[in-house]
Amino acid sequence: MKKKILVIDDDFNIRDYIVSLFDDNGYDTYVAGDVKEGIEVAKAEKPDLITLDIEMPGEWGPRFFSQLSQDPELKNIPVIVITALSGHEHAIVKAVASLSKPFDRKELLKIVQETIH
Amino acid sequence: MFKNILFATAATGASDHAARVAFNIAENCNSHVTIFHVLGVPSRGFSQVVVDVKTREKVEVDGEYTAWVKEEIRTYYEKYLDKGLDCTIDVAVGVPAREILRRARAIKPDLVLIGGSTGSDEEVFYKKYAAGSTLQKVARSAPCPVLAVNRPAASFWGGVSNIVFGTDFSKTADRTFDFALKVARTMECELHVFHAVDINPVPGGTLLLSQDEIELKIREALKEIRKRYWPGLKTLKACSMDVCEGIPYFEIVKYARDKHADLIIMAHHSKKMVEENARFGGNVEQVIVRAGCPVLSMNK
Repeated sequence: MKKKILVIDDDFNIRDYIVSLFDDNGYDTYVAGDVKEGIEVAKAEKPDLITLDIEMPGEWGPRFFSQLSQDPELKNIPVIVITALSGHEHAIVKAVASLSKPFDRKELLKIVQETIH
Repeated sequence: MFKNILFATAATGASDHAARVAFNIAENCNSHVTIFHVLGVPSRGFSQVVVDVKTREKVEVDGEYTAWVKEEIRTYYEKYLDKGLDCTIDVAVGVPAREILRRARAIKPDLVLIGGSTGSDEEVFYKKYAAGSTLQKVARSAPCPVLAVNRPAASFWGGVSNIVFGTDFSKTADRTFDFALKVARTMECELHVFHAVDINPVPGGTLLLSQDEIELKIREALKEIRKRYWPGLKTLKACSMDVCEGIPYFEIVKYARDKHADLIIMAHHSKKMVEENARFGGNVEQVIVRAGCPVLSMNK
């Protein structure tokens, strides 16, 4: 059974790029453009992993993580932060990894494989 | 609330995270922001030649130079200012802490916002463990609340919805609680009141408290929190009260992380800086240095 990944990013181009990367490597992908939609999709699909942008319209990435970790059904889903903001490495202390845009495709895939296989 | 913000900045990378928070608050609260930059310290007396705080070079301050610096600052913060925020750019010559306090007294902001240390590379070691001297001096003496954003990690929340108020049951803490309550009410936030029972051993000594004694102190502290703060807390939609034992500043930072706090509010007592302790400061300064969210302190 294919592993599910939820990609949360307000930038359509980045979202598209990450989704095609995961699709090409045998994952099922779901997308959301903001925190509210991200929580809705996470609840509906129960993904195996989430990639999360930090700066988004309305609520920011740490708020998504805060809501995620307070939901008993979602709190153990690993999160990878992908952002262009500098100094983001400690933005979400309990994220499994934090990558800067532009990121290395191989590095992202390696982290995903190590985390959910 | 927060209609008039004084944002003290070096307009370098060291102030980027504070800028993110300052402009985010301004956007959410429709505030006026005074972006304030201290050009440098006069090389001697009332000389027009100052040592630039950014480049450490000597420069002669005149109208042309001042206009150029303001334009540089405007360009540096272009992405925020282009959103149409209500801003004034202001510069001064002198010792940064003194000038920030002087400007705060003059324009009477309801919030001073300041970033981390801009010290020289030799001071990098201390930046990890101690608040910058300007921040310390401003937090101790400002006539209004001071919001400090020391770590980049403290700047990624985008707004306020979850406040931790750290108390030591002092009079200043009680006044600060009233302010925290006002912020929580106005911004419709959750407010978590927290006290850490200090189990720091005396220097070179061992822990003197038994577990029974620690737990008795925890119970007393919870009783004290309820007595002092419950009448205010119960007017909020969501709140909590907690006590635990440990080294206070670590416990506050941990508690804020567990609560996903996007703002910590604490009282600041020390008016005077004890020189030998200046590098490491008190509990508030250590919380400022270590917190994963902005820290608001009040000194009166």
